[in-house]
Amino acid sequence: MDSSRTERGAESKGGQPLLSVRGLVKTYVMGSQAGGQPRRVEVLRGIDLDIAQGEIVALTGPSGSGKSTFLNVIGALDVPTAGEVLFEGEDVFDREEAGLAAFRNETVGFIFQSHHLLPEFTALDNAGMPALIRRVQRSEARRAALEMLELVGLAERVDHKPGELSGGEQQRVALARALCMHPRLLLADEPTGNLDPVTAEGIHRLLADLNARLGITMVIVTHNELLAEALPRRLRLGAGRLV
Amino acid sequence: MNAPADPGPGVTATTEQLASGAGAAANGGKAAVAHRRGRLPPVFAVSTFVFAAAGVLGAPLAFGLCQVLLEDRLGLASGTANGLAVLAGASVAGVLGATGAALGRRLGFYEIALATLVLLAILLGPLRWAMPALRSTALTVTAWEAQGGLVLFLGLFLTALGSGTAAFAGSSFGYLLFGSGRLDASMSYELFVAKSHLRLEPRTLAALFLLVVTGIAPAILFAGVWSFLRDRRVRRAALRGEIAHRARMPATMLMTLISIGGVAMGVWALTVVLSVMSGFEGDLKAKILGTRAHGVVTKYGQNDFTEWRQIREQVVAVKGIAGAAPFLYAEGMVSAGQNLTGVVLEGIDPRLAGAVVDLPRTIQDGDLEFLSHPERIPVSRDEDRPGERGSEGRAAEVPPARVLPGIAIGRELSRILRVELGETVNVINPLGDLGPAGPQPKSRPFRVAAIFYTGMYEYDSKFAYLGLEEAQRFFGAGDSVTGLEVRVTNIDAARPILRRVLAALEGFPYRVKDWGEMNRNLFSALMMEKVVMAIILGFIVLVASFIIVATLIMQVLDKRREIAVLKSMGAGQPSVMKIFVAEGLVIGAVGTVFGILLGLGTCFLIDKVGIPLDPEVYYISNLPVRMDPVEFALVALLALVLSYLATLYPASKASRLEPVEGLRSE
Repeated sequence: MDSSRTERGAESKGGQPLLSVRGLVKTYVMGSQAGGQPRRVEVLRGIDLDIAQGEIVALTGPSGSGKSTFLNVIGALDVPTAGEVLFEGEDVFDREEAGLAAFRNETVGFIFQSHHLLPEFTALDNAGMPALIRRVQRSEARRAALEMLELVGLAERVDHKPGELSGGEQQRVALARALCMHPRLLLADEPTGNLDPVTAEGIHRLLADLNARLGITMVIVTHNELLAEALPRRLRLGAGRLV
Repeated sequence: MNAPADPGPGVTATTEQLASGAGAAANGGKAAVAHRRGRLPPVFAVSTFVFAAAGVLGAPLAFGLCQVLLEDRLGLASGTANGLAVLAGASVAGVLGATGAALGRRLGFYEIALATLVLLAILLGPLRWAMPALRSTALTVTAWEAQGGLVLFLGLFLTALGSGTAAFAGSSFGYLLFGSGRLDASMSYELFVAKSHLRLEPRTLAALFLLVVTGIAPAILFAGVWSFLRDRRVRRAALRGEIAHRARMPATMLMTLISIGGVAMGVWALTVVLSVMSGFEGDLKAKILGTRAHGVVTKYGQNDFTEWRQIREQVVAVKGIAGAAPFLYAEGMVSAGQNLTGVVLEGIDPRLAGAVVDLPRTIQDGDLEFLSHPERIPVSRDEDRPGERGSEGRAAEVPPARVLPGIAIGRELSRILRVELGETVNVINPLGDLGPAGPQPKSRPFRVAAIFYTGMYEYDSKFAYLGLEEAQRFFGAGDSVTGLEVRVTNIDAARPILRRVLAALEGFPYRVKDWGEMNRNLFSALMMEKVVMAIILGFIVLVASFIIVATLIMQVLDKRREIAVLKSMGAGQPSVMKIFVAEGLVIGAVGTVFGILLGLGTCFLIDKVGIPLDPEVYYISNLPVRMDPVEFALVALLALVLSYLATLYPASKASRLEPVEGLRSE
């Protein structure tokens, strides 16, 4: 848990890093019921990391190395067992449930391996959902969603339901949804894992482009070493640590 | 914990550390764990418990106070007072529960459960010692105690349960509104999502409505035929080598439709049965109130109500009194030939009685006026002059000396005695004259002046009316009467109007009684029957609400991933809860609307088409219905409240789903 393995990010632009992780530990205790010894699974074993505003970071590592768990914890979807996640110096997990929900809503954007779009809704409604959750007016939410769909190059397909879109298009809608609230941090969990190489390449280029144009800080978990190579900063997780 | 590079030994080492409870790394980890746990909300919050306890314990107190205040002090009708008192109790529990939930930002189920147990302990424990002191009050508890230990126990148990439920309904409502830390009554996207889960299109709903209307049998027949045709089509397509596309209804949607049907059935049954029972009650009431007066003014003491003419003037002057007429009450027997039966004999003033009772309008044969003018009673068909049937209905020319006084009897009595209009009956006063060996019966012939038919067997067979003066003479009452029968303008306000009468007469020696008091046994039996019926049929709605629980649990399981995604987009716990509460409420509301429509339709049909009853048994030719808007509203409220309560368990389950868990379940 010491900081010997801390990987310091590139010099942060505003002095303070956007996100800094201190001694992050995540442990699951399983099977304590059936009389047997409880089994502790240590998924993250003390991670220290700083990410500066506007950075784009690739996170790679073998299956089970804790990439998704790490992403979930810094996105406040999961609670760490120990350690701190500081967002602009503020401990995210000092917040209560409602505060965490607001953090996920306003500050973070998520995209997953599966698009996780709501099947009954059009691309426009899907992309505007975070704004609706934020209690923005319906028309206002649609306007924001349309803007983001234009940004990801899907302006013509706004009235289609997810079932009527291709895999790449679905992932673009998911990206538009993640960007809807103008988040400071975009977390992508293998966004191209289900896509063919060409489409995957397109999504990655889009992410890099958005990072350059909007300055959104991004952490992208990927299996695809080739795509990871193209990103300026690469981190590798192995057995719950940064290596 | 830091040293091993490969995962295997690391895990082992940690297990050992855990077992021994030693090791610096483990200690450090523990401290951090404690820090994190501090952010998790407690399972039991004392501050929430304080509010819950105040609400749950305050509810029965508020109920008792309101009951005493409204019924005893303000003199409201018992039903209204009880209803308002229940409402007051539920409001106290609900509002305090909601406050606790809003301040603690928690549902507070355990807190309310504990508070309910505390209340139950108080009710079953200390209240027993306090019972003797409460006996003098008009509280419901004393009524329960009078009915025995079991009723008392059940009553107290249900009181505690009701208070707890009201508090929980309030607290869940408070949590839904304030759970995010500020007032958030909006349902914008929640309704949107709920709608997509339910997938209720007008077409589906119309089909469901038809299914419920036509009953189960045609629906099964239809489904069978449809399924047969589809299977045949699929087989033919398969023979041709095509893959037939077969639309499947998702299980959750089927469950949704079934639960809507369940609620609709319950509401339907409840409204129809209550309307029919109200119809019977109203019919009975109309007959009783038509034949008998709305109330009576009597005087303490015997045979000294001679100032009734002056009292009548005073009574009629009271606001709300439509009319008053004197009457003399006596019991005796009537006989004709070999037939003899005991009857209630009432002396009335035929001119005044019309303003008080419906008797003149129920006369089938003869005329009430003949009581005052017995010489005009037509001669019966086969008495004395069998050849002169043509003269029937015309005034007979009887010498005044032979004129017998008239008596009005009911149709059933005329059948029992086998007499008709104009025939003679003997009226016997068992306490007639005082002879050497005590009172001796006195008998006197009367002629049947009128035959009435009210439709109430009891009245038609047991009542006979005499002219007032004739009755006073026959029963030796002088100029005294038993009392005054009064009619009021609004029968539901009979009690307060009669209290005003009593006040105008300055109380003692006069006293008043309204129709409710005069027929207390009958109406409380009817009320009891109705309450029991409502409870039994209410179980249908309760079962329907269990179907809602099952449906929503299925929905929640089906939508775990979606819930997780919504949470990852920042949907808070109350917000996710709202989605499923909205779903359950939509199911309940649609079912209620269906049920109410069906109930109205059925009642209307019974009313217009009529279900014939054997008039000899029921005295009513058709099944009576009376649609009471208050009853319909209460049934709808019951269905909606039960639907709401049914949503709480699945919805809170959904809201507490960990996003990571939902995302993992692929």
